[in-house]
Amino acid sequence: MSRRLRPLDFAVSRLASLYLAVFAIGVGLLLSSVYLLASHELELETDRVIEAELEGLRDEYELEGLSGLMQGLSLRADSWGRLGAVYLLTDLKHERVAGNLTDWPLAGNATAKWVEFEILARTEDDSTIKHPVRAGIFELGSSYLLLVGTDLNQQRRFVRGFRDAILWGIGLTMLLAASIGYFYVRRIATRVRDVAVACEQIISGDLGRRLPASDSGNEFDQLSHTVNLMLDRPEQQSHTLRATFDSTAHDLRAPLHRVRMRLEQALRHEPAEEDARGVMQSTLADVERVQRTLATLMQIAQADAGSSPLQSEPVDLEALARELIELYEPVSRARGLELRLLPSSSGPRVQGSRQLIAQLITNLIENALKYVPCGGHVGLGVERRGDRALLRVTDDGPGIPASERERVLRPFERLERDVQQPGSGLGLSLASAIVRLHRGRILLEDNAPGLRVVCELPAMSVVGVDKQPHAA
Amino acid sequence: MHILLIEDDLEAAQYLEKGLRESGFTCEHARDGREGLFRATEGSYDLIIADRMLPHLDGLAMLSALRQKSITTPVLILSALGTVDDRVQGLRAGGDDYLTKPFAFSELLARVEALMRRRPATAEVTRLRVADLELDLLGRRATRAGRDIDLTAKEFQLLEFLMRRAGQVVTRTMLLEGVWDLHFDPQTNLIDVHMSRLRQAVDRGFDRPLIQTVRGAGYTLRDEA
Repeated sequence: MSRRLRPLDFAVSRLASLYLAVFAIGVGLLLSSVYLLASHELELETDRVIEAELEGLRDEYELEGLSGLMQGLSLRADSWGRLGAVYLLTDLKHERVAGNLTDWPLAGNATAKWVEFEILARTEDDSTIKHPVRAGIFELGSSYLLLVGTDLNQQRRFVRGFRDAILWGIGLTMLLAASIGYFYVRRIATRVRDVAVACEQIISGDLGRRLPASDSGNEFDQLSHTVNLMLDRPEQQSHTLRATFDSTAHDLRAPLHRVRMRLEQALRHEPAEEDARGVMQSTLADVERVQRTLATLMQIAQADAGSSPLQSEPVDLEALARELIELYEPVSRARGLELRLLPSSSGPRVQGSRQLIAQLITNLIENALKYVPCGGHVGLGVERRGDRALLRVTDDGPGIPASERERVLRPFERLERDVQQPGSGLGLSLASAIVRLHRGRILLEDNAPGLRVVCELPAMSVVGVDKQPHAA
Repeated sequence: MHILLIEDDLEAAQYLEKGLRESGFTCEHARDGREGLFRATEGSYDLIIADRMLPHLDGLAMLSALRQKSITTPVLILSALGTVDDRVQGLRAGGDDYLTKPFAFSELLARVEALMRRRPATAEVTRLRVADLELDLLGRRATRAGRDIDLTAKEFQLLEFLMRRAGQVVTRTMLLEGVWDLHFDPQTNLIDVHMSRLRQAVDRGFDRPLIQTVRGAGYTLRDEA
């Protein structure tokens, strides 16, 4: 079912190709404009040189007459003239008078000032090749024609070489860019494919599977690490859920089984009225226990599912703690325990449900009352630390071993030593769910000796507290 | 006293009807929200007991419709949803009391009686009196046979709650809700301890105890004589 990702089907390779094309067009435009500019500039330069020379020769003619001009021409043509210079002086009938060309190179009358033609030049190994020439023509005193030109062979060769170099450059650059691009696209495609394969395995039920990630710290590894963290949560939740489900079934089966046995027995033996009452009463107690468990489970489920409590109000933690201590104080005293308010700072308020937070505190107090032996101390404290409100319930009872602290927050999880004690094993998980619902966290710590439960809840800002009473 | 019971679970309805009749009420039964709304609009009842989740017309929707028609008959909502939010929703929709299923019949009965006897608040009461027990609500003073009774603020509240409902059965849940504003059941027998302390303060040294325990239900404060 795994669709193979071919590099060309791939968004990144399409993007890379697009970039490559844009890059190629850009480089092509840049280099061809350099090419055009350079060759144009070379032509202009040729024309300027020719023009300057024509001017010079005309001046010589005007100053010194034909002999002066011829002398100048032969001097230029023979020795120190510029490279590839072409000269021809003819009469009006194109008969050669002087110069390094043998014949008038143009067919018919040339009327244009600028002409281009080809001449046969002798190479070193005595063969002839055609050389292109560009020349300017000038009429001297309406009796002679002066042609001054430049052999373009050299220049043309240079321009061709330049053009070839540019084309090679573009080609090689493209090749290099394309291969680097291909390499990267392949790498990305491979990683994406690995991720896709891992995801498909996760979808098909292998919840423990994780995305491949190394510690290189590149974006892919960062993403993989984050996704892996994200995957931990549902895995944990599904573990918790399964454990909860198992324990729920187990926890409910026992009392229901007892109820059934009792009723069956009663039906078989037609018990005396007094016995019947006893059966009914113990059955009722078992049913009540089951119902209570279900109700608490529902509460946990709702707290876990909810984003925020419907009835949200500023809750004064310290006032609530005082009230609940007053409520529980007589019971604690009757059990030989001292329940007291720890030194607390007044004022921390939490935005949330008073009922749920009261239930949270109640659960923690009842938990302590249940497990702390006679003569022990239970403390309840409220504190503000930065932007957090801390709610502490401490005792000097048997405590919870560090290795078990996380486990007992899960539904139905109880310590080995407490299994014989009455209780559903839901108190701490409900507390934990309520804290989570209020975007806080719950920590079980060592009170040395005993247990300290710390609930960290986001506190309302002091400004909000001041405003609240005046709102009405 | 005429009660309309709107409940789709027939067996539960029969059980409640029987219990209510035995307790001296007359009772009519509607099986769904639409029928309930129709009957409540047409007939005249002293109290409506409505399940929250009903076929055809949801219990809360029915209740809102009822209140929109200015029918102010007290309504007790029964619900299998026991969470804080559900309770708040029920009361916002116009319910007068909210009871989570499963409940003991005695709890329902106590609440029915409390709702029936509830009188619209007329003039502010400043003094409560049952037999020789007197409560001065302004001075926050309690006296029995002229002698001062020493009470904490909470005990005073507790006594006031009982005296305002003198003669009625008050359940532990009602006390937790009414005096401590806690709408859930703690596992511990908290109320019994507080009541025994209050009883010590109020009844000790008098031959006529005013605070009675009602077995299987709760407490009542009344003058037996």
